[in-house]
Amino acid sequence: MTLLDFARGPAMQWAFVIFGIGVGWRLVGMFLLLRDRAKATARRDAPVSDGTRAIIMRSLPAKELEHHIVFQHVSGYAWHIGFFITVLFFGPHMPFWKSILGFDWPTLPSEVITVVGAITIAVLISLLVRRLSHPVLRVISTADDYISVIVTILPLLTGLISYANIGFNKETNLALHLLSIVLVLVWFPFGKLMHLFLAFPTRYKAGADYGRKGVAA
Amino acid sequence: MSGLADIAVSVEITTGNVVPLLHEVRHALQRLLDTGEPTVIDLHSLPLAPGELDTLEEKLGEGEVSATLNALGPSLLRETAVPGVWFVTHRNANEEITGQYLEIVKVPAILEAQDVDIRQGIAALSESLEQANTQDQGETHDGSN
Amino acid sequence: MARIETVGEALARQGVSRRAFLKFCAATTSLMALPPSMIPRVAAALEAARRPSVIWLSFQECTGCTESLTRSDSPTVEGLIFDMISLDYHHTLQAASGEAAELARTQAMEENWGNYLVAVDGSIPLGNPGYSMIAGVSNLDMLQETVEGAAAVVAVGTCASFGGIPHANPNPTGAVGVGEIVTDKPIINVSGCPPIPVAITGVLAQYLTFGQLPEMDELGRPKAFFGQSIHDRCYRRPFYEKGQFAESFDDEGARAGWCLFKLGCMGPITYNACATVKWNSGTSFPIEAGHPCLGCSEPNFWDKGGFYQPLSEVEWGGWAQLGTAAAAGAAIGAASALAARSKQKKAREEEV
Repeated sequence: MTLLDFARGPAMQWAFVIFGIGVGWRLVGMFLLLRDRAKATARRDAPVSDGTRAIIMRSLPAKELEHHIVFQHVSGYAWHIGFFITVLFFGPHMPFWKSILGFDWPTLPSEVITVVGAITIAVLISLLVRRLSHPVLRVISTADDYISVIVTILPLLTGLISYANIGFNKETNLALHLLSIVLVLVWFPFGKLMHLFLAFPTRYKAGADYGRKGVAA
Repeated sequence: MSGLADIAVSVEITTGNVVPLLHEVRHALQRLLDTGEPTVIDLHSLPLAPGELDTLEEKLGEGEVSATLNALGPSLLRETAVPGVWFVTHRNANEEITGQYLEIVKVPAILEAQDVDIRQGIAALSESLEQANTQDQGETHDGSN
Repeated sequence: MARIETVGEALARQGVSRRAFLKFCAATTSLMALPPSMIPRVAAALEAARRPSVIWLSFQECTGCTESLTRSDSPTVEGLIFDMISLDYHHTLQAASGEAAELARTQAMEENWGNYLVAVDGSIPLGNPGYSMIAGVSNLDMLQETVEGAAAVVAVGTCASFGGIPHANPNPTGAVGVGEIVTDKPIINVSGCPPIPVAITGVLAQYLTFGQLPEMDELGRPKAFFGQSIHDRCYRRPFYEKGQFAESFDDEGARAGWCLFKLGCMGPITYNACATVKWNSGTSFPIEAGHPCLGCSEPNFWDKGGFYQPLSEVEWGGWAQLGTAAAAGAAIGAASALAARSKQKKAREEEV
């Protein structure tokens, strides 16, 4: 069995299984926990609109804070958008998505994806460098922070290397690219990549909670 | 089923190798003039897209000399419109191409008669002359009184 | 059967002029993927080269490799190379049969001990010797017996190189390639199903001319023909770079000659000379004819998923498996939540 056969076969299978078990475990384990029963009277009873509003408002930082965080804000959006463009609109990725979802969609020219992918990697690396050099970030960063960003960079990097056909031969490059996806799937349930599932629910809950706090004026 | 001729084989692809090749030919020609050193380029050793070989032939054009060689199949040695640049196509007895070359040379070496063959020719000629001689002598012997 | 005749003498005997010999050398040099400047060296070497004895053993094979090599019945370069070797044993091509044929083999071995080449096509069954026998001798025994005095072994085709078709899952005969049996002789694998004819003759030409096997890759294949992947030399590569793919056979993209990656092309992971040398004397090759590369020169090419499964399609396990995993995770999560909840309740009671 070559490295590519292993990456496409047993490794990928186990990755999805671990991903499934891990995500199921964390989500169910989290949502079944007891929530603190609120003891004060609610200011108003509109948890859905409060929660939904929070999801939207917290996606856009307050104007007053903007000039402090503009770099993080713009970089964050830039690399997320670039990442999804690369993953979802690159031609050779289509058979992967089609085999999972059962349908495919139009893609972008591969040269465009190369540029987008390269920019995404550059932004991610600049954020990593910032995390390592910024006095506050350096103190508060955990292993999870570093592992998650590296695990995110690896698929983009190995993908670009494989497309450009540099370094190892194509078969090994493809295998490494697929193994980097395996790594993402395996790490996913254990670190902050879970924000894919948790970001919106937690913002909703925060919004709903704050919506009922306080006194009506 | 649609005809085979309808299946497109795109010829818009270029490897970009034609122009660099022509530059190489130009350098080789200068070398030939200055030092007499010949150059042979194997056209099968370069990646050329379908159609690019024809483009190359077109660009080089047709010259004054064309020679056919019949040895283990036909070969065509054609001087291009650029003197000193010969387009050589070797084919086997099945008319299949076994090699295509650009020879930057005054005359392709294979056109020259080879020493071994000349020696064989001398031997064959000598033998036939001897035979003719013997025949003549025989006739004279018979014919004379 | 003049085995000690040199190539030069053999050609002279056939009435081939020096000029014709030079033309032959030019073609041979090109065949070995050497530059034209090597032609004089090749000419000098070929003139003095002795015609090696070649014993061709056919085991679990379909004879496609021999077919590929002997396609034409008029002298071609390939044919001439074949004339330049002394093919002393070959099931399909030899006139003798039965005892006489086996005697030819053993005689050739004796007379050329230490200098003959063994060419093998077809895999060797290790499961049970009875699966493939020749003249009452199992393939395994015949191979081991014949290679004892060989100078080198040429494994012709993917079956002899890596096991090939018989080796495919579930490999009922226990088929293996030559390399898994012969360990003390130089082996060169000329893989492909079948191999491109010039790859076979190029190797023979190299051995004939220089008395040695050519430079090989990590799978023992001659780098001159297997050093580049199909992907790296494919004329449809610009379409891959641009992201223009055929989505199904005979669709718009396929008719426009676009990249066949999505139809399962194994070009990126296959090493062979199909994209440059091509087939049928440079006529075309599978991708040019509109069909994705099968990867037939690679080990286990039958077991890489499916010929129409793109390289980016993976064995992810399916929704049922993912659902089961998620359910299992949910169950564990529920159990851990229950345990946590009882702790939470206790903490609340203590608060009060």
